Amino acid sequence: MKLTKQIASIFLVVVLFGLFNLSMYQLMTRRLFNNFSSATQAQMIDVENFIPHNSNSDLAEVATTFSLTDNLPVLDGAAALVPVYASVIHNVYPEGSVTFVGGQFSKDNYYGENFASDSAMQYKNTVRGYKAIVDGDTDVFFCSAPSSEQQQYADECGVELVCVPIGLEAFVFLVNKNNPVDSLTMEQIRKIYSCQYTNWKEVGGPNRLINPLTRLEGSGSQTTFEAIMGDYEIGTKSPFAITGASIGFSFRYYLDGIVGNDMVKMLAINGVYPSKENVQNRTYPIVIQFYAIYRADNANPNVPLLIDWLLSNEGQTLIEQSGYVRIN
Amino acid sequence: MKNRTFYIVLFSIIGLCFVATLAHFIYAVYAYHHCSIIYFIGQELWK
Repeated sequence: MKLTKQIASIFLVVVLFGLFNLSMYQLMTRRLFNNFSSATQAQMIDVENFIPHNSNSDLAEVATTFSLTDNLPVLDGAAALVPVYASVIHNVYPEGSVTFVGGQFSKDNYYGENFASDSAMQYKNTVRGYKAIVDGDTDVFFCSAPSSEQQQYADECGVELVCVPIGLEAFVFLVNKNNPVDSLTMEQIRKIYSCQYTNWKEVGGPNRLINPLTRLEGSGSQTTFEAIMGDYEIGTKSPFAITGASIGFSFRYYLDGIVGNDMVKMLAINGVYPSKENVQNRTYPIVIQFYAIYRADNANPNVPLLIDWLLSNEGQTLIEQSGYVRIN
Repeated sequence: MKNRTFYIVLFSIIGLCFVATLAHFIYAVYAYHHCSIIYFIGQELWK
């Protein structure tokens, strides 16, 4: 009898720990496996799909007479804009301008690519990319506006960055597709992220905690989000918020076109859905510009030619065919 | 099983379970700060 009780006690301990870990797995861990890297979302884009001059790539093609053959500006950009600048290379640069360490593409890299140092295409994403453009490693960088820290780094290095707006995009908020909330106002979003609203029922949803998610400091979406918050400070959420229903943010085409996750949905803001049409006619409240950025002292004569082409009808058509909204 | 033996076995198992749970927790916290928020939201539990 005593032995039975002892074995039952041990069994109970194991079961209790097992149940706790199973709950933690269901609530949390199983949601963290996707494309794990040490930089949030760094590998959410599959660069292999956007390699120029490759028949398997998903890149825009436009009829153009503009082409570059030498002094090729090195292009880099944010994850969301890889389809744009890869398409530029695909349409304007000669074959062989994109090169790889070891001679061929490989994903066995921190960021999921292995561009050689002499390649005209690079992929450093926003945080590393801003440093590279200031340091002179990149000629043209495709991204949203710099954060105050990124601008400060340029100032400290005595580098003037020229930011030329080349396209429009919607900044979107997203929730799980089963969340019954379809629309929020700007005011509600600011109050959610400043933790004045902590339960979805306060904004017309279910009685469930709100888990407001932010991104890596210095990333394009985080910088845009901080600008949107205006005078509201980002609040400190309860540790229990993680058990609730989350809200996050991203860019429209990155979410809808590149990642294409059908388990989440974009929210309408002030009743306006972030469709391409509503970005074009500017009825969606959070339309941002994205830029081709270069150093003012860049001596490569092809940089201004490339910028002019991006603003031409051909360049704008390429931006549109890459999934974004033309600015001209 | 003698009481002494039982407690040695019991606390050893509790210790092992605790270490495993702690490792799981540390991994979850680290991964939470570096995961894709889109996938994280997409995998949310809803009845």
